[in-house]
Amino acid sequence: MEEELTKEFAQKLMELKGEARGVVFKTDTEYVLAEKGEEGLKKLEEDLEKLGYPIKYREIETFSYYPVGLRVLSLLAIKKNLSLDDKKLDDMGFKATKKSLIIKFFIKHVFSLEKIFFQKGPKIWREHWTVGEMIPIELNKTKKYIILKFEDFNLSPVYCVYLKGYLRGLFSMMIKTPEMTCQETKCFFKGDEYHEYLIKWE
Amino acid sequence: MEEKKEKVSVEEDKILVLLEDLSSLESYARDLFSFLPLPVCLISSIGIILDTNPSFEEISGYGTEEIIGSPVENVFDEKEIEALTKETLEKGVVKNKEIKILTKEKTEIIGSAATTLRKTEEGEVVGYFLGFFDLSKVKKRERELKETQAALTNMIEDAEEARVNAEEEKNKTEAIINNLTDGLLVFNKENKLLLMNPLAEKIFDVKTRDLINRSVSELKTFPTLDPLIKILEKEAKKVFKEELLVKENLVFEVTTAHVEVKEKKLGSLVILHDISREKVVERMKTEFVSLAAHQLRTPLSAIKWTLKMLLDGDLGEVTEEQKSFVTKTYKSNERMISLINDLLDITRIEEGRYVYKPVLAELEPVIRLVINSSKDEAERKKIKLEFKKSEKKLPRVVMDVEKIKLVAQNFIDNAIKYTPAGGGVRVSLKCLKKEIEFSVKDTGVGIPKDQQERVFIKFFRGANVVRMDTEGTGLGLFISKNIIEAHGGRAWFESEENKGSVFYFTLPIKEEFEEFLKEF
Repeated sequence: MEEELTKEFAQKLMELKGEARGVVFKTDTEYVLAEKGEEGLKKLEEDLEKLGYPIKYREIETFSYYPVGLRVLSLLAIKKNLSLDDKKLDDMGFKATKKSLIIKFFIKHVFSLEKIFFQKGPKIWREHWTVGEMIPIELNKTKKYIILKFEDFNLSPVYCVYLKGYLRGLFSMMIKTPEMTCQETKCFFKGDEYHEYLIKWE
Repeated sequence: MEEKKEKVSVEEDKILVLLEDLSSLESYARDLFSFLPLPVCLISSIGIILDTNPSFEEISGYGTEEIIGSPVENVFDEKEIEALTKETLEKGVVKNKEIKILTKEKTEIIGSAATTLRKTEEGEVVGYFLGFFDLSKVKKRERELKETQAALTNMIEDAEEARVNAEEEKNKTEAIINNLTDGLLVFNKENKLLLMNPLAEKIFDVKTRDLINRSVSELKTFPTLDPLIKILEKEAKKVFKEELLVKENLVFEVTTAHVEVKEKKLGSLVILHDISREKVVERMKTEFVSLAAHQLRTPLSAIKWTLKMLLDGDLGEVTEEQKSFVTKTYKSNERMISLINDLLDITRIEEGRYVYKPVLAELEPVIRLVINSSKDEAERKKIKLEFKKSEKKLPRVVMDVEKIKLVAQNFIDNAIKYTPAGGGVRVSLKCLKKEIEFSVKDTGVGIPKDQQERVFIKFFRGANVVRMDTEGTGLGLFISKNIIEAHGGRAWFESEENKGSVFYFTLPIKEEFEEFLKEF
């Protein structure tokens, strides 16, 4: 069900607990600029101001913490302004990994998929998000798949789609493959207890 | 409690300062990476491109989202990058390794790569940075230089080959000139002597070094060269031939020819061909013909008179049949005598013994006489013979009447002989400014174009007339031309096969004839 962007809804989002590093707004900025240019970014900032939560994207500090509600609001406003369907939203998440500074921290550990999956990944996640847990479930190199889950990370169904693309982008930099897919196999918003993602490659 | 709060506040302030410093550092690193004009990328140890700067994206043609996360083989030559990765992982640092980038547009860019390993704090290899220096322009320039060098080398080789060829040609030409069996002199366009071959030196008993670069007039001062120079000064035609008697029994035919390139005169050649032997043979031949003709004429004359006596009945009655045979024999004998006379005339002409008895006389009566003598033959052949006399009164000319009569007779006889029945022969006399022109126009068989050059050469007979009349000797026109030229006149003709011919001669009017005589 589509969430309607109103002042009230925005206010409700702000009640979400937790914070995220400013880097997520940086990747949003670059996506909007790439798709709609300066005009698109200006319009986005104006719309957010109207909702009562102005964001000056260029003034966001990469390593500072910002409310997770603001991060979800930014994503919803972009989806609305750029008329993004799920496919495009997935693509936005995928592209974010190519420019995200968090990914630069991740790729420091690309020498070992096991290490990044089981040790460094959850740690880096915790350093960038003060909410939710990224929990590795299974890494099967022979059958070429990964299962991981996110607990207590129930921001918005829109974010589930975005995260699907993001995870695909992230693992495509660690696994050399011509084709990689990512599916959300369990979703809190669909009645599951947590979010579960299955990443497969050829 | 207050102290604890204050301590927390200080710690928070420190964190804020650290965050600000981190942001500044991130911004600085990003700006530096973005500004760097050298294409740089970070490649993971398993061969995935993890990061690139704008310069790398520009040179490869791929956008950030396209290139980051893509296999390194998409952007680099597979074998080259495999070798470079291996070397980097082994050595840690590689400098100046030639490698090709494969752009999105499928073009290749040659460059030099430098790599350095990137490790974690724990010393584990993350991958390596690769800096790429575009050598395509340098390579292009290098290729152009190589091509230019190759072209220059080719040109030098060609020039050297041409020089060697020219040298060989020069040597060959020199050898040919030096070994030429003819004497050779070469003059430049200013008529200064450029070259003289050894044979020419020998002929004139001179040395080339004394004569080189001297003009024709200067060469006159060398006595042995004087006769040659006189010939050269006299002739202005492009090509001419003349005989030069150097000393007794040493005769050369002098041929001069202009050397021209695209109608521009570069100089002239003088060739001296030894014709001494030909002259001796010719003289011997003439003497033999003269002797033979003289020896033949006496018995032929005896035969003639005997036959005449037989025909006249001085030796008794002859039957009609016998008379017919004797008449034929008499005519054949007459032709033999005529041929012998012609041969004797030729030998006289060639030996310079052809005697002329010039008198001042009128030409028209002579011509009328010849026409009258030809009328019967013309009528017999049903040919209309006309005479068109000059409108003006003709001045008298100096001539050997008998010889001129011979020429006119020859022209008219030929016209009648080679004009078919029903045709016409027109004899004309015309008074020109300095000469009298005689012409005989016929509607005869004409002379084939390809044979016209040889008409006045002795023994020449046109191929078409040989088929018609087998009696001619081919000597008449040769004798006629010599007679006319001995009078200072000219003889020529115009002819078209199957349409007819016009034969002309001119005789100079008295004053002109006297001028002509001064030359001898």
